[in-house]
Amino acid sequence: MDMHSQNLLDRRRFLAGSGVAGLLALVAACSGGAGTSTGASSQQSATGSLPATSKRGGTLRAGSPPPPTAVDPITMYDGTAIAIVQLVADYLIWLDKDFTLVPRLAERWETPDGGKTWSFALRHGVVFSDGTPLDAETVKASFDRLLDPDNKSAALSAFDTVLAKGGVAVKDPSTVVFTLERAFSDFPYLVSAGNYNTLILKKDYAGDFTKKPIGTGPFLLQSYDPSKGATLVRNPKYWEQGKPYLDGVEIKFYADDQADLLALQGGDVDTQILSRPALVSPLKGAGDIAIDQVKSTGFIALTLRTDQAPFDRKEVRQAVAYALDRPGVNATTYDGIGALGNDHLFAALFPAAPTDLPQRAKDPAKVAALLAAAGVSKLSFPLTFDPPSKDYALTVQSQLKEVGIEVTLDQRTSADFYGGDQEKDTPWLFTKANLVGWAGRAVPSQFIIPMVKSKAVWNGSKYANPALDAAATAYDAATTDADRKAQAEIIAKALNDDVPVIISVWSGNVRAYNGKKFTGVQAHPASYVDFTSVSAL
Amino acid sequence: MRRFLLRRLAAIPLTLVAVSALVFAATELIPGDVARAILGREASESAVRALRVQLGLDRPAATRYVDWLGGFVTGRWGDSYTLKVPVRDLVLDRLGASLLLALLAFVLLVPVAVTLGLVAGINHDRPADRVISVTGLTFGATPEFVTGVILLVVFSVKLRWLPASAQIPPDASPVEALNHLLLPALSLVILCTGYVARHVRASTVTAVESAYARAAELRGFTRAQVVRRHVLRNATVPATSALGVQLQFLLGGLVAVELLFNYPGIGALLLQSAIDKDLPTLQTTAMVLGILYMLVVLGADVVYRVLDPRVRLGVAAR
Repeated sequence: MDMHSQNLLDRRRFLAGSGVAGLLALVAACSGGAGTSTGASSQQSATGSLPATSKRGGTLRAGSPPPPTAVDPITMYDGTAIAIVQLVADYLIWLDKDFTLVPRLAERWETPDGGKTWSFALRHGVVFSDGTPLDAETVKASFDRLLDPDNKSAALSAFDTVLAKGGVAVKDPSTVVFTLERAFSDFPYLVSAGNYNTLILKKDYAGDFTKKPIGTGPFLLQSYDPSKGATLVRNPKYWEQGKPYLDGVEIKFYADDQADLLALQGGDVDTQILSRPALVSPLKGAGDIAIDQVKSTGFIALTLRTDQAPFDRKEVRQAVAYALDRPGVNATTYDGIGALGNDHLFAALFPAAPTDLPQRAKDPAKVAALLAAAGVSKLSFPLTFDPPSKDYALTVQSQLKEVGIEVTLDQRTSADFYGGDQEKDTPWLFTKANLVGWAGRAVPSQFIIPMVKSKAVWNGSKYANPALDAAATAYDAATTDADRKAQAEIIAKALNDDVPVIISVWSGNVRAYNGKKFTGVQAHPASYVDFTSVSAL
Repeated sequence: MRRFLLRRLAAIPLTLVAVSALVFAATELIPGDVARAILGREASESAVRALRVQLGLDRPAATRYVDWLGGFVTGRWGDSYTLKVPVRDLVLDRLGASLLLALLAFVLLVPVAVTLGLVAGINHDRPADRVISVTGLTFGATPEFVTGVILLVVFSVKLRWLPASAQIPPDASPVEALNHLLLPALSLVILCTGYVARHVRASTVTAVESAYARAAELRGFTRAQVVRRHVLRNATVPATSALGVQLQFLLGGLVAVELLFNYPGIGALLLQSAIDKDLPTLQTTAMVLGILYMLVVLGADVVYRVLDPRVRLGVAAR
């Protein structure tokens, strides 16, 4: 469901070391504000020189859980399938580990009208692995495919109310224009890796990715076995000259986390696609294992039904929020690498995140006062969740018990938890209190629009606040950083005060690898993979 | 014997129909939705509804069952809902892998367990018997994933003698393949040895204390001769059924070992297809395993009848 279901060479140090430090400014500029022309130049292709300590060649072996479904870029949602596809195909824009946008198939982008229309200039000289040149028609076809409801892509949810079918046009062979339903200043994020289904595929792509794996990415998919894994070799036609350094990547499937970890320790694999902080952190510095870690914008939301007792009283929701020891949750769930949450949807990684909102902390006296104000003498409630949130559920249960709140754990299988009808009865959207793991998103709107806007598609708390709705729309259309920050503050304060969801910790992400054999393996907030800069030692 | 075989073979299809109906009914009761599992939680409800129709899940359960059964009987096993690959390839590939591991474990198990059972039985109530019995019970009560983890940590992580993954690379030599399979096979042998050895020990004790064994000793045969000529066959015949039970377990009940050693066997496939409600894969896997189980039971019965003339001739044991 989400990808929580997961160094060598820092990109910036590498660029600086290669004598192209000027590019740093360009790369940083790619995350710039709306209304400005953004994007880096194709100079980046000149960075294919290898670090002195590294060598070309070699195969990186990575362990990962087997994809639960067929690997199809249009409908995929699990971390392994996304990783395989990201090695073979490419996006217009890559989302870097620090959430900056890095030009890939698009060299630059701009909006002439404050975020309603966006124009993307394509990189010249890019060809697919079968020799077909990349052009604007291909990019249009890729987005038309995602926007067609018949193709059932999850990307449709991300484009909801922003980009509709028919909104993509070809200006010339190397320029694509997106006309949006409404102004959206963060739109480049929605066509970046941050919206992971938006890969550029050939016009005639027919859903058979593992049989005809044609892309513009750094590797070619040589073989795929749904039971065993995938073998990839270097794409000689890759657009970035000199890259990738590796000859190939081998992905081995491990259905069990422990088996994956033992394989890494035993030398059967060199890295993991989806490392779990609690499992791999104890290995840091032990033997050959190195660990890269990053902050993330993922989290586990404790969602409370605001339309049902006892959580229809704001004081009761606030009481639960004040009962949690957030550093304790961070330590038990993310091995301490996460960042404290403040019950709103702006992670510190998001540039517009408010900084003057006091951090909520455990306060038993306040819990008692709030419950008394709500007329609740003894609070008890069931907490519904699926296995990936089990540790979090146990922590919540134990912490709330300390302040006299009784939580009954209601664990379901993931199939049951996410099954049912999203408009009627699915447990993750209709139970009184539940835990839902949310994968990291590139922009806060990807949380706000579906999760907390009135009658939103995944509004499990059934929260409705017209002031927040208006601020969310204004946030998307904001053309200046100051305006965006102002709207963010309204949204964050409303969520912090009303507490429809409790966000106690923003997750961190890790990637473990064999540091004696490879350099350049990096963690990513969304567990994405970019192995173009990985090299053998 | 021929009538026995025909009677038993004729019962197999009827049993399979009952098994398939039970599996289908149970799958209907499992919560979850395969269309949602395929598209993920972030797909729209309308897309999920459309996929349900596309997969034919909107049809009545009875219709879907009859369609599937007709397809299975006529060799049209269909495609996996979730993985979109032919079920035949998936199931037979996994079955082949499971057979290979089961065979290796069985080949290691039989001599080890039978020998230990015989030694314990011949020396019953002596230190050797106690050591073998207690060790066998202890290992038998230890879950295979526990012994498996210990084996992995020692032989793969610390000593690095054997690979952590049992998955055999496509270009592996027979020796390399054996290296990959050795640890999971050993964890299974450790688990099953106690059970089989206990059966062999019990029948050995009975044989050793039997009138014919005592008579042979009184006639001047050495202990070794008595064991070789009289005890061995009589003691191992009852073990045949115990070995049959273990073989059934080895063929399909290895989910924990398959997951721990990353071995793509049929047990893990059965589990995953049940979780995903991937009906074509689940039903076919259950049927294939059902056929295999029944053939193993039949094989054990046939061996038993061949080895023991009292059963073959319908004479009650005295």
